[in-house]
Amino acid sequence: MEQKGRKVAVVGMGGAFPTCNSLDDFADKLFGNQSLIRTWDKATAHGKNIRSTVSGYISEAEMHLEPVYSPLAVDYPEVYVDLLNRIPDINLSTADIGSIWAMLGALDAIKMAGWTTEETQSEATGVVVGSGGGGHEIQRNAWHNFFVLGKKTRIAGSHTVDRSMVYRDAANVSCLIKNKGVCESIGSACATGLGNIGYAYRLIKYGLQDRAVAGGVEGTSLETFIGFDAMQILSRGFEPAKSSRPFDKDRNGFVCSFGAGIVCLEEYELAKARGANILAVVDSYFNNSDGDGDMFYPSFAGQKRLWKGLLSGIEKRPDVVKVHGTSTPIGDAIELLSVVDVLGEKDFHISAPKSQFGHMLGAAGAVEFIAAVLMLQKQQVLPCLNSDNLNEELENFQQKEQWEGSKLPLAAYRHLLPQQSFAKEINSITCLNYGFGGTNSAILISKE
Amino acid sequence: MERQEIIDGLVEILRTVRTIDQEKLNHVTEETDFIADLNTPSTELINIAAKAEQKFDVEFEDDDIDDLGSKVKDIVDLILRTKERG
Repeated sequence: MEQKGRKVAVVGMGGAFPTCNSLDDFADKLFGNQSLIRTWDKATAHGKNIRSTVSGYISEAEMHLEPVYSPLAVDYPEVYVDLLNRIPDINLSTADIGSIWAMLGALDAIKMAGWTTEETQSEATGVVVGSGGGGHEIQRNAWHNFFVLGKKTRIAGSHTVDRSMVYRDAANVSCLIKNKGVCESIGSACATGLGNIGYAYRLIKYGLQDRAVAGGVEGTSLETFIGFDAMQILSRGFEPAKSSRPFDKDRNGFVCSFGAGIVCLEEYELAKARGANILAVVDSYFNNSDGDGDMFYPSFAGQKRLWKGLLSGIEKRPDVVKVHGTSTPIGDAIELLSVVDVLGEKDFHISAPKSQFGHMLGAAGAVEFIAAVLMLQKQQVLPCLNSDNLNEELENFQQKEQWEGSKLPLAAYRHLLPQQSFAKEINSITCLNYGFGGTNSAILISKE
Repeated sequence: MERQEIIDGLVEILRTVRTIDQEKLNHVTEETDFIADLNTPSTELINIAAKAEQKFDVEFEDDDIDDLGSKVKDIVDLILRTKERG
């Protein structure tokens, strides 16, 4: 149970962001209204076999990593070399690309937090980091060699398990920083990033840990990309920078992207006592399920219950709502209408960071949480880029008899959806993320 | 195939294993112990064996790998024995 008076502070951030060489670079590009989405050569190489060709991807070279290819298996990176010597070789040997990003993000976040080695390696420090997908790139090699080529299992190498297991990101971070508290991963599809941060928040709030390294990761993987491509739910037909367009009338799917977001959370009084730079305070976290038995279709009622849980016992209301806003036709409409149903039609703005870097799947909630903390720091609202035209007619679901939400078209909410970043006093921000399976997560953060 | 030729080939493989201290590879002999002398992580031993199979064009039996000692001479013996077996 929650311990009364115990609060949680955000004290560090790090990660891997498409086209960006640092967190500062990421912030500059976001508040400069830039898109981080590009044509992906790995996708275009497959011609007509792949439908979407844009992504917020991160190459190995951009992270100063160099793959060492196995002499035993074609095109299989058996290990990575860190050209900047940030991570020891022994830790690199057990890591897939996403786990390396998680470790780099953790190092940056801990440095920003200012934790001592003793604090980092304490029994009171946990690691809670997860991915949306498995280690697909690693597993594909092992399976192909065994099942298709008929080779012995050892040809795939002895690191298939540690480089592809579900909680590989958390395990690799924990082995690197040598914490002695919990080490776990929460998996909740596209809510994974926020789910891990929320779980870490609860560990501290409930008195089980004093500190946590938390976040979400999605390593660049064509194997992951093609699963979504097959569902015909990825954006298609726009130039890269225009491809992710949450709320726009012509949106036709999300941009499958990759990245990592890692944060350091700490019990507020401990952080305060050591003079930490407190980036934000977590006021509340809540998660639930739609309960309507649908794997994919978003739930207006489920999202309203999410808000009710998040704001239970809390008087403050957010100045900005950082939405999930994927750029899918139904998802954006339901989400916008559930937000206005709860908060009304004024006194807040909506920010959709996926409009700038696409949908990072298991990393989305964590990277967008970092974007929200940046908004608090900069006192600027990030835009809903490319939301050029809003539907002036009712959505189909609004015309059904059982619809209980707003009877106004999305265009009636233009004033809530900024097309460029802008300055405003921001005291509190709500972050929303949802995932396949009808899972919903929400967090409320504030300036100290 | 001469024993020293095999040792040289093994050192070439070991130079691709980044978790081994490369300095120590300048003085590898038959008595060098992969674990005690080179601090090779145990998880890498199977990778070294698999690469040795490829390099020397042999295929080890699972029992031979299970029983393999940790010295350089042990794998040299195994390679020669396997080659003789054809």
